[in-house]
Amino acid sequence: MNYQFNWSVLWSGQSGGWLLHGLLLTLAISVLAWVLAAVLGIVSGAMRTVPWKPLRVIATFYVEFFRNVPLLVWMFFWYFGVPPLLPRVVQDWLFNHSAEFWAGMFALGVYHGARMSEIIRAGILSIPRTQFEAAVAMGLTTFQVYRLIIVPIALRLIVPPATNDSLNLLKNSSVALTISVAELTFQARQVETYTAKAIEALTAGTVIYLVLCLGIAAIMTRVERRFAIPGLIARGG
Amino acid sequence: MKRILAVVVALAVALSLTPPVGAQQDTMAKIKESGVLTIGTRTGSPPFAYINKDNQWVGFSIDLVEQLVKPAVEKEVGRAVKVEKKESTPPTRIPLLSANSVDLIAGTMTDTPQRREVVDFSLTFFYTGAQFLVKKGSPIKGVNDIAGKRIASQQASTNAKIIRERYPQAQLREFPDQPAAFQALLQGQVDAFTNDGIQLAGLKAKAPNPAEWEIVGDFYSEEPYGMAMRKGDARLKAAVDGGLKNGFESGKYFEIYEKWFGPKGELPYPLTATVKAYLLKQIGK
Repeated sequence: MNYQFNWSVLWSGQSGGWLLHGLLLTLAISVLAWVLAAVLGIVSGAMRTVPWKPLRVIATFYVEFFRNVPLLVWMFFWYFGVPPLLPRVVQDWLFNHSAEFWAGMFALGVYHGARMSEIIRAGILSIPRTQFEAAVAMGLTTFQVYRLIIVPIALRLIVPPATNDSLNLLKNSSVALTISVAELTFQARQVETYTAKAIEALTAGTVIYLVLCLGIAAIMTRVERRFAIPGLIARGG
Repeated sequence: MKRILAVVVALAVALSLTPPVGAQQDTMAKIKESGVLTIGTRTGSPPFAYINKDNQWVGFSIDLVEQLVKPAVEKEVGRAVKVEKKESTPPTRIPLLSANSVDLIAGTMTDTPQRREVVDFSLTFFYTGAQFLVKKGSPIKGVNDIAGKRIASQQASTNAKIIRERYPQAQLREFPDQPAAFQALLQGQVDAFTNDGIQLAGLKAKAPNPAEWEIVGDFYSEEPYGMAMRKGDARLKAAVDGGLKNGFESGKYFEIYEKWFGPKGELPYPLTATVKAYLLKQIGK
């Protein structure tokens, strides 16, 4: 009954190619979803702090609605729920052009946008009130205050928590396999199916995720150091 | 960067040094001690194993275990044994088995040469082959019509493997379970769902409008179902095979078959002469 390790299954045959494909797809869906999440997060995070109630209400609704439903449900929603609302021709076109990829990307991006929004909001709220007042006193409009002063400062303050959530986003991209996106976890499982070597295949997946995440974390540590505002953020090691 | 590399290497080494899983005591000894036979089975694969309307976990495979395998195991260990069921899906069943979470997979698992390298299989207890479920009137009539079409399959299934290898022109979409794949077919995300014919028959029967769907194509693969055990689990295998053999000989197996697949069964699917001969050949008849 001993389990026989056979690591060579990872590079023999098609396994290596599959894992590489999975890795590329994971990166593609994560990068696109991250951009979407960042845009949604910055816009809605800023909207939640503006002195105009309707905007705050809209942004609050977005955040609470999207972050309080499990990501898995959002995957099904974007893949199974949204297409029937579109005209038949558009549906067919989508289904032939990786609908599952775009559904997964939207699910991931919109969900993480809501989480990113809270991080941005926290960053904005940590900026002393006097900054707003000084900017307004200079004659800037509210939009200019946000665009030129508040958001840039907030972004420099929130690098650590934003890194954290970006890593979550990358790992959460694996949920997309439920709607048939053949990303990294899917491919690791595929290797397992073909070779019946579960531990090797899943270890390969684990190590790839780990290397990716450690790589991103290392880059973000540099970004954090480079952009930290002296006096506003505690210096880390 | 160096430090990161060191961490990764350390982790890889730690993992490869982990003691092999599944090296413990003999399964029969464990059953004798605990009085429990843990099986991994399905919750959504009617009529093999599923949760019925009354919320009971039942099915053909489960009946085979309860009525044929259990008595054989009881006889072997000399005490009453309780069958405990756990959910297992194609991607999880082999890991569950090697992690000792279950002792026997009794669901809809096809006996293949690759799988035989890691698990042992019992005698074949059902024989089917892959076909397609399509909307009535679909241009897909069989495996030769699927080029360029979107075909749903179940992740980690033998059918998915065959389509990928032999019919690369098809756009394969793999879903983790049958309900998701079927939903994709219902909504038109895919043009056909390929799976073992018998499972498609089960899905079709449970669809909102069974008449709207049809099962097409000859078997493009052979799918003999077996119960899987950890490799080298000889005493359990002997008991399981003994139980099934007894069932074939006494006719009890065919009674259970009638119950689920007979004219009044959950899913009428008559036992053809070829299949019957195939099953009986295993016990030298």
